[in-house]
Amino acid sequence: MIITDSIKTTSYKVVLPFYIYAAFAFLLSAILLLTSSSAFTDHYFQPHILAITHLMALGWGTMIILGASHQLVPVLIEGKLYSNALAYTSFILAGIGIPLLVYGFYVFNMHNPAKWGGRFILLSIIAYLINLGVSMSRSKKENIHALFVFTSVLWLFLTGALGLALVYNFTYNMFPHDSLHYLPLHVHAGVIGWFLMLIIGVGSRLIPMFLISKYTNTKLLKWIFVLINGALISYIMIFYFIKITEVILLPWLMLFTGIALFMYYCYSAFKHRIRKQVDEPMKVSLLAVMLIMIPLVLLLIAIVSAAIFSQEDIALSLSYGFLIFFGWITAIILGMTFKTLPFIVWNKVYHKRSGIGKTPNPKDLFSNTVFKLMSVAYIAGLLLFVIGSLMIHLLLIQCGAVLILAAASLYVFNVLKVVTHKPQQ
Amino acid sequence: MNVKTNNNLKCTVALAALEHVDDPEIGLNVVDLGLIYEVNFDETEKKITCIMTLTTEFCPMGESISENARNAVQQVFPEYLIDLNLTFDPSWNPEMISEEGRKFLGR
Repeated sequence: MIITDSIKTTSYKVVLPFYIYAAFAFLLSAILLLTSSSAFTDHYFQPHILAITHLMALGWGTMIILGASHQLVPVLIEGKLYSNALAYTSFILAGIGIPLLVYGFYVFNMHNPAKWGGRFILLSIIAYLINLGVSMSRSKKENIHALFVFTSVLWLFLTGALGLALVYNFTYNMFPHDSLHYLPLHVHAGVIGWFLMLIIGVGSRLIPMFLISKYTNTKLLKWIFVLINGALISYIMIFYFIKITEVILLPWLMLFTGIALFMYYCYSAFKHRIRKQVDEPMKVSLLAVMLIMIPLVLLLIAIVSAAIFSQEDIALSLSYGFLIFFGWITAIILGMTFKTLPFIVWNKVYHKRSGIGKTPNPKDLFSNTVFKLMSVAYIAGLLLFVIGSLMIHLLLIQCGAVLILAAASLYVFNVLKVVTHKPQQ
Repeated sequence: MNVKTNNNLKCTVALAALEHVDDPEIGLNVVDLGLIYEVNFDETEKKITCIMTLTTEFCPMGESISENARNAVQQVFPEYLIDLNLTFDPSWNPEMISEEGRKFLGR
């Protein structure tokens, strides 16, 4: 069968704004991390930490994932993206909503603009959900990767809806308890349901693809899907209905098994790869897969410690959250940005010059030296910050924050270098 | 490498030109990558029909790679009309990489 329309991909005009927005959100988060370092020696439920967490989760993680997924969903579902207009709508709504919500948290004003911020973000998620749902329904093939992605967006919708309800709960008493009580559901629906599910869905397709690996194992991916969703659903049931701390070990075990199986999947893809030399962005992405285990171990310690001492260890919970947003999610984005963005820009700049004269390699569009410096600053900063927050040591936290700010600045430099690339004569 | 053709001599020339067309992500040319399935010559209509694939359907670089391949063949056969078609039946898999390609990737 001869196909002619399978080479039409999502326009760069749809994708690039998400990347640029996310890069500056990361930089702003790193600045706030430094200026609000002292907050990390106290309880996590306070304005500046809530502002930084939402800027990282939405402005950085979600925006770049939405951008990349508009480009990658056609590869995953083997069908075209339904609507560019819905993609723009999603960007504009989230782009307006995120700063409003983050500002609301920063000054801790839960009236306007926090409520408007939440509404805009939820509408943006709905636009993306419709776009993805229609694209998938029009695709001729069903596959496990697309199922992961679609389920992850359903969790994102639940996270957003609950988040907005929690913002209202500050002023209207919508729920029987205060918003802090419902925070674990909001956080884990977002982190496990949205980020983890999506990263596994996309990663299980892209990691073997980039490594040119023959490895594929749909059955294993189905088990991972069941285990992770099962862990999340059982966690919600136990937390809100059974209320016995020790039983939370069951969903933790399911989650641990699901993640361990995904790590085995990545290892098998790596082992069966034809491409022996692994580039720097891919190394950082594979490191990120391993980084998932650190917050998971901290979570286990937090559960056991809460069961023994009947109270939450705040420093442990703070480090757990930090390792998720600034650790695992950030690491995978730092790596995957430079496996996707240079190719999108290369396509934009050199598409019409294909086969006519010499063109640079997409990998030459960013500085590999800056990438390596960024990676070193990032890993060192992450370690110092986590050790500092576990020991409640302000100077270590500040040193870590400075290094993370340096990493964010180098990241923005490289992103701008790529997006402002002009064709070489 | 197992490219179907109705003209071995001219096909060799076309493939030599296509060896200058790289997949930008992998850095390997489309011939050693095993993306070229058929190159057929119609001497009466002065037309070359080239059937190729991509490493994945809806590949973000697909348009550039196929356009590059068309231009490369056109440069060595300027008097012919180039009809380049994409197919995903059979879909590409790493087994299609040539021995030379494997050496390049495993260096």
